[in-house]
Amino acid sequence: MSPNQTAQTPSTFSLSPYTGPWTEAEAAHLLRRTMFGPTYQQIQTAVANGMSATLNTLLTIPTLSPPVTWDPDEAVVPQGQTWVNSVYPSNDTQPTENARLRSLASWVIERLNTEQVSIAEKMCLFWQNHFACEAAFDSRATYNYLMLIRQHALGNFKQLVKDMTIDPTMLIFLDGYSNNVYSPNENYSRELLELYSIGKGPQVSTGDYTSYTEGDVAAGAKILTGWYIEGLRSDTVTTPYAVFENTLHDQTTKTLSARLGNAVVNANGAQEYSDYIDIIFSQPDIAKHICKKLYRYFVNFDITPTVMTDIIDDMAQTLVSNNFNVLPVMQQLLSSAHFYDMAVRGSIIRSPLDMFFAMYNATGSVPAYDMATNGEIWLNIYWIAGAAGQDYLAPPNVGGWPAYYQAPSFSRLWVSSSNLKLRFDFAGWQTAWGGFNINGNPFSVDTLNYLANLPQPDDPVAIVEHSCVVFCPKPVSQMDKLVLKTILCNGLPDFEWTIQYNDYVANPGDETYADPVRRQVALMLMRLFKFPQFQTF
Amino acid sequence: MTMKRSDFIRLVSVGSLALPSVMKGMKVQPVAQQLFTTSVNAQDRVLVLIRLNGGNDGLNTLVPLDQYANLTIQRPNLILPQNSLLKITDTLAFHPVMGGMEYLFDTGRVGIVQNVGYPEQNRSHFRSMDIWSTGMLDAGATSGWMGRYFDANWPGFPTAYPNADQPDPFAITMGYEVSSTCQGLMANFSHAITDPFESYNLDPAGIVNDGTYYGSHMEFLATLIDQTNAYGQQIYAAANAGNSLSNLYDPNNELAVQLRYIAQMISGGLKTKVYIVNINGFDTHDAQVLPTDATTGDHATLLKTLSDAIHAFMDDIRLLGLEDRVAGMTFSEFGRQIASNYSHGTDHGDAAPLFLFGNCLHTPVFGANPVVPDQIIDQAGLPMAVDFRDVYASMLKDWFEVDVNQIQSFFEHQVTYYPLMGNCNRGTVNENGNPVVLVYPNPCAEYATIRFDCQSEWVRVELLDLNARLIQVLVDSNLAEGMHNVPVELERLAVGEYIIRVRKDSGELTTKMMRVKAI
Repeated sequence: MSPNQTAQTPSTFSLSPYTGPWTEAEAAHLLRRTMFGPTYQQIQTAVANGMSATLNTLLTIPTLSPPVTWDPDEAVVPQGQTWVNSVYPSNDTQPTENARLRSLASWVIERLNTEQVSIAEKMCLFWQNHFACEAAFDSRATYNYLMLIRQHALGNFKQLVKDMTIDPTMLIFLDGYSNNVYSPNENYSRELLELYSIGKGPQVSTGDYTSYTEGDVAAGAKILTGWYIEGLRSDTVTTPYAVFENTLHDQTTKTLSARLGNAVVNANGAQEYSDYIDIIFSQPDIAKHICKKLYRYFVNFDITPTVMTDIIDDMAQTLVSNNFNVLPVMQQLLSSAHFYDMAVRGSIIRSPLDMFFAMYNATGSVPAYDMATNGEIWLNIYWIAGAAGQDYLAPPNVGGWPAYYQAPSFSRLWVSSSNLKLRFDFAGWQTAWGGFNINGNPFSVDTLNYLANLPQPDDPVAIVEHSCVVFCPKPVSQMDKLVLKTILCNGLPDFEWTIQYNDYVANPGDETYADPVRRQVALMLMRLFKFPQFQTF
Repeated sequence: MTMKRSDFIRLVSVGSLALPSVMKGMKVQPVAQQLFTTSVNAQDRVLVLIRLNGGNDGLNTLVPLDQYANLTIQRPNLILPQNSLLKITDTLAFHPVMGGMEYLFDTGRVGIVQNVGYPEQNRSHFRSMDIWSTGMLDAGATSGWMGRYFDANWPGFPTAYPNADQPDPFAITMGYEVSSTCQGLMANFSHAITDPFESYNLDPAGIVNDGTYYGSHMEFLATLIDQTNAYGQQIYAAANAGNSLSNLYDPNNELAVQLRYIAQMISGGLKTKVYIVNINGFDTHDAQVLPTDATTGDHATLLKTLSDAIHAFMDDIRLLGLEDRVAGMTFSEFGRQIASNYSHGTDHGDAAPLFLFGNCLHTPVFGANPVVPDQIIDQAGLPMAVDFRDVYASMLKDWFEVDVNQIQSFFEHQVTYYPLMGNCNRGTVNENGNPVVLVYPNPCAEYATIRFDCQSEWVRVELLDLNARLIQVLVDSNLAEGMHNVPVELERLAVGEYIIRVRKDSGELTTKMMRVKAI
């Protein structure tokens, strides 16, 4: 582990099931790691249901409605209907594509903002970081790519890699569409090995990366030749699709290195990529790379030799013995003694999206205007998350976001000085300083809704206690709680809050009572959202 | 036609009679301000690192003209037409969009190190960028090469920093991410900002580290908040005190805008030693050039952005009188393969040229041109000739004048030094210790004459303060062989001691000059 992140060793290095106490601390830990912003009520429900039942709920991927048109630049599809299977106009496709891309981006944010008690959105972001494709220039293709990820979110890793290999968005992203027998393009072939499947081991000699070689990169490029895309931005084809053209395919027999078992890949047309991926997935160490990434994303950055042997190797074994189905691995990991070890709680610094949707979701803040207004609001959140370093449809590079992979800092890379200022400014803006205003429609953290869903909103001590449970991964000091309560009560005795709150409840619709309550909670949350404790989960 | 460096030094020189009296246009105000700041030589120097993220295609950036015929075999769909190239030596030419860097090369302010790489090239972006950031081939290395330099000289960071001695960030990264090059043992020495004119007033937090990963994050965040506020104030003050004088900056060129901020901070007195900027997009697997015109496309856009930005920055640095204090270097994780691919692009390769910029540049072109074979060899890249770690080591030695034993301790291999950026270092008066530059009378009042010998060569005569900071360039020209007398007017120069420095291709001469009150 890195010297600047020194920490106590976890006491539990085992994937055997967790059998300790199941309190709101454990339930909240599980929900925060698998969702963006669990509410206080969701945490209590998880406590009541127990770990096993909660996990069953979390490990279900809900169905999803496709994005719909709300932007006036869409030229084909009526407002409120989906465009994901619709042609483009015959001329000047760009305004329609712009409208669709805006719709798609706002839909991505809508999904995060309206997530259910499910690991779905966290898994989808995991895979988006793993494959890291940028939006294609046909949003229908981008949508299909996102849905491919979602379809396999807890599904079969091997099948996901196969499908991804010939997915049009990926073919565009890493130049597979122009990889042909006349001039192989190595871009996808390299990342397939290095990033997407087996992962790159240490380089032991020129071109030899232990798990594969430069020769395999070149051979893989030949194996993957012959694919291109039909129907992009078409005015007749309703969805773009990949096509295999045998005359563009390299018909030679490809021999892989000893690192891949000296395997021979015979020319096999449109199935050759699948044969090749079968070979990659038959290597003994195939599962470790993805299991390390899952561990870093869901548990902790620090993969010590003990974590490697006692956790990652066991996860890898589970993945292989379940024929690469991810669900059993997640089930095992999230119910393990190691996952609930105190030493790994709060060990991840929130990404911008983690932070934003902890703020919105845990307070039940969802825009409820017409589709166009909601779309604009979500789109604005999308751009701000991008400015803060997490543009969902444009990861900074093919490896995803450095905070998920770059040693030694890992998640600390989300919070440089400039980024921290942006986050703090955003927290202030979305609580106490007004928030969005889209054509006269305001949106910010809904403090009154938050309050209404806490069990004792008339008690300032309870509000602070419950807020710390919702937003902070570990117990908060008495001093910091006092700071929050003092802000909430504006320095007055506790009973003054109770009077104020009861007046507000007794006078529904009267802004003279609602406004002070709203403001004081906003000020308290603003301070809480700038606590270091809130920056981790 | 643009004048080339190669032509430049062969020109018939102008006579010394034509030299003007040079002091009248001098800007006294900024100079007077600078005289109050205390710093000497290397302690006051700034290094700007420009990361070309993605792996820059060296062969289409700096074309080896002696290999042109074979390049047409290797990359028929990428080759830049010969008549479009900007020729800078008999055998080298820049990409046609790099007029800015061509001008800087011709005036001795851009240099090239050929075929830079490392043994056993790793063609992964991530691994290779780690290698370039850490300056080590050891896969377990986590500290950056600049981070080790900072750790060795300012141990314990970030505890007790900033402080009275080091009030400013050691390094600044433009953007939202700190740079891996500055990763130290306990923390990253670089401070990320997007705009130096933003004021920082983040709510501080008092946090106890409970000894877990969480606790160390709490300590990290609390320290970051404190440093952000403290450094933010210094940066804000420097940006407001500083200046930017060049009109070459394009406000739509993001890199130029960032370099302009850097010029503003340096001129405002910020003591930050290293600035890091980044430009993405060099991973040109496809559409590197447009099929219709190889001089256009993604790579051309990137190179123009880079070249224009460096040109504007160097222009500004000169106008601000900072040109001997600022040097820069580009780096990229690898070059690209010799042969192009079918997508009008290039795949990951090996070595590539690296660019230096600064007034103290020692060698215009270091190293021989790469050799391009006449047949396509599958996946072949250019072999490395210069280890990038030796470039780093040489920059530490030349530019920051770091002790060689200390430099060696930063690297895992036996370091070799190259003469890259040492042209402004003092102590090169002449072989015998006898001054061959004379100022008379000395002490002087309103007028003085500077006398020196030279061969038929380019000569630059500079007036410096005692901290070796440039006040005025007195001569910058090709001169005939023999003795030259340069008259100068001093009436607007403050009373005090100064340094006269004569820089020539054949060697550098310095002497002191005492300015006294006129009687």
